[in-house]
Amino acid sequence: MRLWIYIVRRLLLVVPVIIGVMTITFLLVSSLPVSERLEAALGTNPKVPYTPQVPCSKLGINQPGECRNPFYYNGLAKLGLNQAPPVQWAIYMANSLTGHWGYVGNGSGLSGQIPIARGQPVITVLGWFLPYTLELAAFALAIIMAVSIPLGNLSAVYRNRPIDQASRVVSFSGFALPPFLLGSFVLFAVVLLVGGHSGISPTCSKVESYFDFYGSWPQIQCFQGGLYPVWLKSGQISSPTGFPTVDAAIHGQWFLSLDTIIRMVLPALVIAYGTIAVLLRFVRNSMLEVLNLDFVRTARAKGVPERTVVKRHAGRNSLNVTITVVGLTFASFIGGFAVIETVFGLNGVGRLFAYAVTLTPVDFGVVFGSTILFTIIVVTANLIVDVLYAVLDPRVRLG
Amino acid sequence: MAATESERRRPNPRWDQMRRTWYFFRRNTLAMIGLAILIFFVIVALYAPFYPAPGTNLQEYTSSNGSPPGSVTSPFPVICTYQSGELPPAPNCYQTPTGMPSVVPPTVNLKTGTLGPLPFGSLTLTPSGTQLFNTYAGLVKGSDWSLSISVGIVGTGAIIGVVLGVVSGYFGGVVDEAIMRLTDIFLSIPGLLLVIIFLSVFAVNVLSIDLRVAIIVSAFIVIWWPTYARIVRGQVLVTREQRYVEAARASGATSGRIVRKHIIPNSVYPVFVQMSLDVGTIPLAIAAIVFIGFHVFPVNTFPEWGTMTALSVSSTVLQTFIQACQTSAATCVIPWWQFFFPGAALFMFAISVNFFADGLRDALDPRLRR
Repeated sequence: MRLWIYIVRRLLLVVPVIIGVMTITFLLVSSLPVSERLEAALGTNPKVPYTPQVPCSKLGINQPGECRNPFYYNGLAKLGLNQAPPVQWAIYMANSLTGHWGYVGNGSGLSGQIPIARGQPVITVLGWFLPYTLELAAFALAIIMAVSIPLGNLSAVYRNRPIDQASRVVSFSGFALPPFLLGSFVLFAVVLLVGGHSGISPTCSKVESYFDFYGSWPQIQCFQGGLYPVWLKSGQISSPTGFPTVDAAIHGQWFLSLDTIIRMVLPALVIAYGTIAVLLRFVRNSMLEVLNLDFVRTARAKGVPERTVVKRHAGRNSLNVTITVVGLTFASFIGGFAVIETVFGLNGVGRLFAYAVTLTPVDFGVVFGSTILFTIIVVTANLIVDVLYAVLDPRVRLG
Repeated sequence: MAATESERRRPNPRWDQMRRTWYFFRRNTLAMIGLAILIFFVIVALYAPFYPAPGTNLQEYTSSNGSPPGSVTSPFPVICTYQSGELPPAPNCYQTPTGMPSVVPPTVNLKTGTLGPLPFGSLTLTPSGTQLFNTYAGLVKGSDWSLSISVGIVGTGAIIGVVLGVVSGYFGGVVDEAIMRLTDIFLSIPGLLLVIIFLSVFAVNVLSIDLRVAIIVSAFIVIWWPTYARIVRGQVLVTREQRYVEAARASGATSGRIVRKHIIPNSVYPVFVQMSLDVGTIPLAIAAIVFIGFHVFPVNTFPEWGTMTALSVSSTVLQTFIQACQTSAATCVIPWWQFFFPGAALFMFAISVNFFADGLRDALDPRLRR
């Protein structure tokens, strides 16, 4: 089979997954009260709550008693809530697929934390927060792969020897530690170690070392005039790429770019430490299998040095299997971002989700929007991995 | 004739296989350590219902020990004074630095070598420290809940997964395609987020604890079965083509019998491995959910390891201590026991389960056995 046919086939498999995920979110949305569905989809109405009847004075009608609430009934008609569930589903799907994911609530909670998000479309706000999460994910993934592949190979070659046991104990302990516990502990330890101002952020008044490691960007006092640069304050609206490090560099603020990267080191290490065990196990097992195969024995028999056998013959072949698992690993650690970003105060999608879900009332527009976004990230990662695998291993395309 | 007689008396070959698995398992040090820790936890969990704690509330506990019940409420007073470096005169004598949220350190009477009323210290439930909680009692009581919830979720998930996986793998066709697409969907949503959404949709306004527990357990089951379905299906696809299945079919066995007697027994071992891996992650996941802000279980009446760990390092607690440390060295007392004991319980459980599962996998899979 040609490669492009494989890619098209693989792309077609994505369609039912996306539709299925949106159906699940639809089922969850449908079990919400009507007023909350309207609020999530259409945004909070500052004056009139979404109830069938409101006091007439609120509508500006000079008349005592309750009146029919036009906002409520218009909303029902817009979302198709006055029609049969399949129609509701179709309208929901159409909205979701065209990026109409609802609006951020006007309530005190989320808008209080992130004032610029007030009343914005969910997809716009997610767009502001997504690049940071992607940067962090890429950083963490790079660490995970750089550590677990060599360590897994080593672990398999020296099976059940001290080096194998040690690497497994260390990696498993990362898996068994709750990430928020490790994260808090690391943050705590680093702050106490540094003591005063660590010198990472530019010197600015009254910045404690805690804020040198907490948050995605330096404290507001560190910027000239005590204000964020315009492109940062307005949610990177004027930013060319959206990626904070790249944008800072483009705007010539090297310190900010560097600072953002340095602030990512601790969270990325914590995420990586928690996930290395998952990948390491697969690398070790696939390496153990490959080491038992005939071609490895042949290589050894014809006198290829052991180092070359491990590196060239076995290592290359076990890597093929490992690549497929990277996608799965990605799915397992991206869910943990909500926790890690909360611990370190990073402005990513995970923290947005954690904010929105703990508000009372819950900001369901953001919650469902970020879930769909996370799913899209996972699906895309798996797609890239599969295509990469097909490019590397022609047998996959045949099957 | 004698041969058939001895043939008949031969034990079930499955016992043989188990003995062989045990032989390989035993040689794996890490796996044996994991098994030992697991057995310890199970014993603690079995003992938990009989644990004679007069309630897990710190207040009740101290009052039963003779000190006035009001003495541990905030603002935390020094119950008795002693010079630093000296041994506490009584086991229930605590000292709290001024200007700190009230916390009670672990008490061990070094003179008599006995544990005090709070051997693991206290857990601060509110940032102001008005509510304290006996960590030791909570851990013992909580072992029961943590273990049974984890095993319940994984067990139910595995049963659903095995049934769907067998159906999908054995019958194939449209059913297979449908079930596999369904697992695709569930595996694409980050599981933790889906559980949190379930809670936010269904459990926010639910006051009954039992109902909340039921909701969180079912949410976990919903995200947990697809992994097992995938694993079982893969195994069934291999088993289905084996000679003995063909022989059974040729001798006229029904589909139900083949599935029950041949397919399921020969394809569930990887599920056991995956199950034992997953058992350890459930308290971790619950901890993460509580940390994000869903107080699913009220710790006072329903101690659970994940909840205890999450509360011990909630961001308000952490920031209070960091600020206390940055103000002056005198107020910088890190209540390490708050994080350490609940965290250690979670950690030991998860890691022992992991070692156990890894050992099991190595022992069961001849390719990894070497």
